[in-house]
Amino acid sequence: MNFSRRFYLFTGLFLLSFTAEAQKFQTSEGKVEFLSKAPMSEFTGKSDKLHGLIDFDKNMVDFYVDMNTVKTGIGLRDRHMRDNYIETKKFPFAEFTGKIEGFDGPIMISPGQSIEVTVSGKFKIHGVERPMVIPGTITKNSKGNQLEVKTQFNVLLGDHDIEIPKVVFYELAEEQKVSLEAILKQQ
Amino acid sequence: MKKLFFLACLLTTLQSMAQLERKLETENEPEDLIFHAPRHINLYTVEPLDKNTLHFAIMHTFGTLDNGGRNLFGLDNGANIRFSLEYGASNKFSVGFGRSGMDKVYDVFARYHLLQQTRNDAIPVSVSFMINAAANTADYSFLPEPRPVFQDRLSYAGQIMIARKFSDAFSFQLSPMVAWFVNPDPIFQIETTENLYLALGLSGKYKISGKSSLTLQYIPNLNNELRNNLGIGIDIEAGGHVFQMYFVTSQALNEQYLLAGGNGVPGEKFRLGFNVNRIFNLKK
Repeated sequence: MNFSRRFYLFTGLFLLSFTAEAQKFQTSEGKVEFLSKAPMSEFTGKSDKLHGLIDFDKNMVDFYVDMNTVKTGIGLRDRHMRDNYIETKKFPFAEFTGKIEGFDGPIMISPGQSIEVTVSGKFKIHGVERPMVIPGTITKNSKGNQLEVKTQFNVLLGDHDIEIPKVVFYELAEEQKVSLEAILKQQ
Repeated sequence: MKKLFFLACLLTTLQSMAQLERKLETENEPEDLIFHAPRHINLYTVEPLDKNTLHFAIMHTFGTLDNGGRNLFGLDNGANIRFSLEYGASNKFSVGFGRSGMDKVYDVFARYHLLQQTRNDAIPVSVSFMINAAANTADYSFLPEPRPVFQDRLSYAGQIMIARKFSDAFSFQLSPMVAWFVNPDPIFQIETTENLYLALGLSGKYKISGKSSLTLQYIPNLNNELRNNLGIGIDIEAGGHVFQMYFVTSQALNEQYLLAGGNGVPGEKFRLGFNVNRIFNLKK
């Protein structure tokens, strides 16, 4: 009896916490850039279809991009990337889910404030998931209804079982520099 | 216990709801790389060029294998070589020119891509057209008059390419082909004196690793008794280049000569062939 009552009370409160004004920010048009710096050729793959979510209440950072939308400026290279390297038909998404380090409870950030954060989580591309710690900055606009997020990190293709051609003409760097820039709007 | 289970379920659903749902931006993305290159052994494919890109291809076919190691399996016999440059005027239309060593034939050609297969099968096949006009420029001054004049040296060819990527590994193309020689002089390196040639090109690709595929070409003739063309080989992608190595029964490297030039018996009369394909970007 006692347990039962406590249970419903707890569940109720738990559900209530979701309906309170959420510190939840989202976008579907962030920018992401993959820079490949190989000895003989340097190029970037870009997409402006990055989806992102930062939920301060639950301390969740969640980003993904459909790799089919990444363009390098050369159609054939895009097709090789999709068909041979990323294999977007099987593994369409590059994704990262993690939490901001050093915060136990809900995260407070006041309008106009900018904070440096370290986000630890899992990065997945080509179907292979790796733990990753990513530094970044989060800036809240003066109105308090938007977040600007910027980050840069490196991904080793070998970590995700993406083979690079070893014959003659190197065009793809093993280490890809990933830059990410997005404006997330409050939901 | 039941309640705990209920709570656990609730928590997991809330947890999964908390993450963004992964959604593709477009469902009807065109299928990538039905073939590795705009060429597949000797035939054109449905692979389009992007606007402002240039496809450079060098193709070689050597002598027959039957003389063995003494002639390095035909490599000593000298190659028929074809160079071609094709320019993507738009994402659907390209024009080009080429020169084949055999009979010193220059040709101009165009390809148009009508349909592109999509991943969700809204369009199940890719369909493209190719036409060309060619002129034989071999020197016939040793012949007594009347020698072939420019008009006599012209020939034309056309084909429809219908292709489908059936799986990541397997693609197939059907190419009804037609060729026309204005005046098929016996001095030309063709095997009959017919004007019109009809054939059905069959091209297959089977991917054996991320960057290489086994290739097959079979071109049955439809309106003459010439032997049919057979080619088997391998395509290898190496960072921007596509290398194609094959054994084939004909030395011809353009459509009209492929259909009219005749073929050796597969096996001893196979010839080694080798193509290099490279795409250049003219933007910026």
